Amino acid sequence: MVKIEDLKRINLFKNSPDHLLDIISREAQLSIFNTGTQLITINEKVGALYMLIMGQVAVIRQLTPDIDVILDYVQSGASFGISSIIQGATATYTAICQEPCEVITLSGQKMIELFENNHELAYVVMKDVSRQYKRYMDIRADMILKTIGKERDLKDKVYNIKYLSF
Amino acid sequence: MVEKDLLKTIVFLQDLPEPMLEKISLNTQIQMFKSQTVLFEKNQALKQLYMLASGVVHLTIRTASGENLILDKVTPGRTFGIAALMKESSTSFSAMCAEDSSIITFSSEKIHQLFVEDFKMGHKLMSHIVKLFKDRMERHTSQFLHYLAMHPEIKKLQENSF
Repeated sequence: MVKIEDLKRINLFKNSPDHLLDIISREAQLSIFNTGTQLITINEKVGALYMLIMGQVAVIRQLTPDIDVILDYVQSGASFGISSIIQGATATYTAICQEPCEVITLSGQKMIELFENNHELAYVVMKDVSRQYKRYMDIRADMILKTIGKERDLKDKVYNIKYLSF
Repeated sequence: MVEKDLLKTIVFLQDLPEPMLEKISLNTQIQMFKSQTVLFEKNQALKQLYMLASGVVHLTIRTASGENLILDKVTPGRTFGIAALMKESSTSFSAMCAEDSSIITFSSEKIHQLFVEDFKMGHKLMSHIVKLFKDRMERHTSQFLHYLAMHPEIKKLQENSF
């Protein structure tokens, strides 16, 4: 169990009402992870939703067998491991602690069970998760545009960015 | 009001049970737009969600060098302007009709009202959006890595490592 005040330090829950935070706080745990701890492994099932209180976590993808790309540094207040609360989803990146990290964890399976019994909780969390995804997608789209910005050969392939609609 | 049968042609709404479709039907309307009509501009706060019934809509972005790039060609059955579902969120691209188009519009205010009145519907549709966003995020990441791997600087780095 963690305090509601700790959950309010997490961006994902900043707009959530206290009666829902109370439910979440009962399922949450506070953990400390050492530098180098791999919390999430690409293509594997993610067991928990992680919310960083203190420290820094790198979000990594392999570009070539010799080059890894750090897509993002997760900072305090941010969440990762959203796949854990999506039925059947697996990780699309590897996440490694870059320094000792204080993290709130929430069992993904437990959250999915709570969502089935409390649609208000599910709606509020999913709404905030979708807002977070949108922010990340906008950043990623900017990264693509910057990468292709000056390269004519790459620009010709810009149609591949598609699927903004669904 | 939009007929339920037309709503069922929209991919985003296809899994919804009849009672939920009924509520959406009462709160949506169909509008006709001429070719070249700009539906919204980048960074605009959206007041409605758009579902294309017929025609074609282009989603575009302007690059730093001032060029207009078409990011997506929306075809009938598809939904866009999802920022309307997220309060305080603005769109990251512009939308323009590439042909005369008929579009089902769903007011952002009505959507939020419906979701709060029926959390089950809100949960279902928001979960759907999260899954779609997750897939789209993964495609964006793969595309970014693909472009990055083709970038001359990276190619040089790879050549130097041999």
